[in-house]
Amino acid sequence: MNRLDYLVLIATILAIPLYGLWRTRGSASLGQYLKGDASIRWATIGLSVLATQAGPITFLSMPGQAYESGIGFIQNYFGQPLALIVVCAVFVPIYQRLRVYTAYQYLRERFDQKTQLLGAFLFLVQRGIAAGITIYAPAIVLSALLGWRLNLTIWLAGGLVIVYTVVGGTKIVSITQRYQMIVILVGMAIAFAVALYRLSPDLSFEHTLSLAGKMGKLEAVDFSVDPHKRYTFWSGLIGGFFLALSYFGADQSQVQRYLAGGSLKESRLGLLFNAAVKVPMQFFILLLGAIIFMFYQFEKPPVYFNQPAYQRAAESGYGPQLAALQTQFDDVFTQKRAAIRSLADVSATERGAAMTKLQGLDAQAHELRNKTKGILTQAGVDPKSKESDYVFITFILQQMPHGLVGLLIAVILCATMSATSAILNALGSTTAIDFYRPLIRPDASDHHYVVAAKTLTALWGLIAIAVASFASLVENLIEAGNILGSVFYGSILGLFLAGFFIRRVTGSPVFFAAVLAQTLVFVLFATTNIGYLWYNLIGCAAVLILAPVLQQTIFRNTEAPAGV
Amino acid sequence: MNAGNDEPEARSWRKAYGLTLSLFAMEVVLLYLFTIRFS
Repeated sequence: MNRLDYLVLIATILAIPLYGLWRTRGSASLGQYLKGDASIRWATIGLSVLATQAGPITFLSMPGQAYESGIGFIQNYFGQPLALIVVCAVFVPIYQRLRVYTAYQYLRERFDQKTQLLGAFLFLVQRGIAAGITIYAPAIVLSALLGWRLNLTIWLAGGLVIVYTVVGGTKIVSITQRYQMIVILVGMAIAFAVALYRLSPDLSFEHTLSLAGKMGKLEAVDFSVDPHKRYTFWSGLIGGFFLALSYFGADQSQVQRYLAGGSLKESRLGLLFNAAVKVPMQFFILLLGAIIFMFYQFEKPPVYFNQPAYQRAAESGYGPQLAALQTQFDDVFTQKRAAIRSLADVSATERGAAMTKLQGLDAQAHELRNKTKGILTQAGVDPKSKESDYVFITFILQQMPHGLVGLLIAVILCATMSATSAILNALGSTTAIDFYRPLIRPDASDHHYVVAAKTLTALWGLIAIAVASFASLVENLIEAGNILGSVFYGSILGLFLAGFFIRRVTGSPVFFAAVLAQTLVFVLFATTNIGYLWYNLIGCAAVLILAPVLQQTIFRNTEAPAGV
Repeated sequence: MNAGNDEPEARSWRKAYGLTLSLFAMEVVLLYLFTIRFS
């Protein structure tokens, strides 16, 4: 990175929060602080919901995911449009009618306080940790490649977010997310265009895609019912539906985004916008990864993209072994490039054999990368993030012109800031409204609760930075964070669906059903190898089955059904 | 379950949901055709 890159980077990440602070200057009532005001329209809500979900991992990891395993991951999003329609039709009207600040207030209206506290507690535990991971994940990659100090990177990404989220509340989160998302979309479109431009002139775009497909990178839809396949149409549609329903319907970091503005119509339009654009957006991000894969068929890639880890291993006595693997990798790369170029000249009958040869060479290259990874593990250089996370950022740093490098680093930091601000805003609001107000100060003024919400948001920000700072001490923390969401989401969703669809069930049966369901998920998590996406379905189904059973047995005739 | 929407408004929202579903179905069909064409 040169001075121009740093100028673009600093200007981009500072200008948006400063504009947001200017737009939200002056004091706000509790309603304005927690829900924004009527000026927030559907486009802002839509981009805000999109930015909250995307986060830095989407833009940093997804192209690398496609580079490594192809674009089949797109199927994980197939349940989302259906879930968003259910959220629009069922969840949003109820939240709007009850004029709640947090989703968990509904649980008190429908059931009782202990159920509200349970739902809010489960949310705080998993999102409190997720906020730290959202900051840590890009910081570890950027600090490794750019030579920045890890703690400085964490404070750069986290500190600025805390300041503007605390000052401006929900309105500033919505406004900044809108512009941050625009920067992200423009930056990614430019990266896509540059990647296309840098492709080899030897092949047409169609021929390039055809080759990428033959090398297993473009299988977007797989209707297989094989349960051992990780990404299929059915697992994405069913598992993805429950995950998205829980995330958009019962996770305060999303609920707060679409309740901003307070109009049912604007909330619904913002969510339907997401239902329409999410799959195409993810497709283009994954396709970018496949195009970068094709770029590196002509331009020699590093044998291991996490070069700082590679260098550390080379300097600790493993240099000769790594050099031998590098030589073999270079040889395979040269053969592979020649094989691809010769494909244009071979006859149709010879094409099959040529493709088989190419696929064999690609498998050899993959094997050499795995061997390199094995040596890094032997050397005790154990990277805390996946190697594929370094693919896109390496492409940016090595292939983009100056200025654009700064813009694309800004894209990753904007994604970090926008996702973190939404989570901190939701954590502060939930702690203030679901815990502080009913349990500690039930009769204070609006101003008092605004101050409390600001203080609690700042406190959660500091906790997130502390989690990010100590994250490197924990193995596979990013993966653990992904699993954590699915472990808790099912039970939370079950609480809400029981409230909406089981009319005769009351507070205590639902509360204990959720506690039992959560225990069941913990036991399954500890003792089985079920794919974690299925915990959403299992936790939710357990609440919906156990609650009526408990109602008809232990809690029979003990409470009158609530009227909401 | 109904938030007090009057019938014409509810009907227009049902149309919006139908349109969104149709768009999603079209996206899946296009992705499937893309898969067949390039795999």
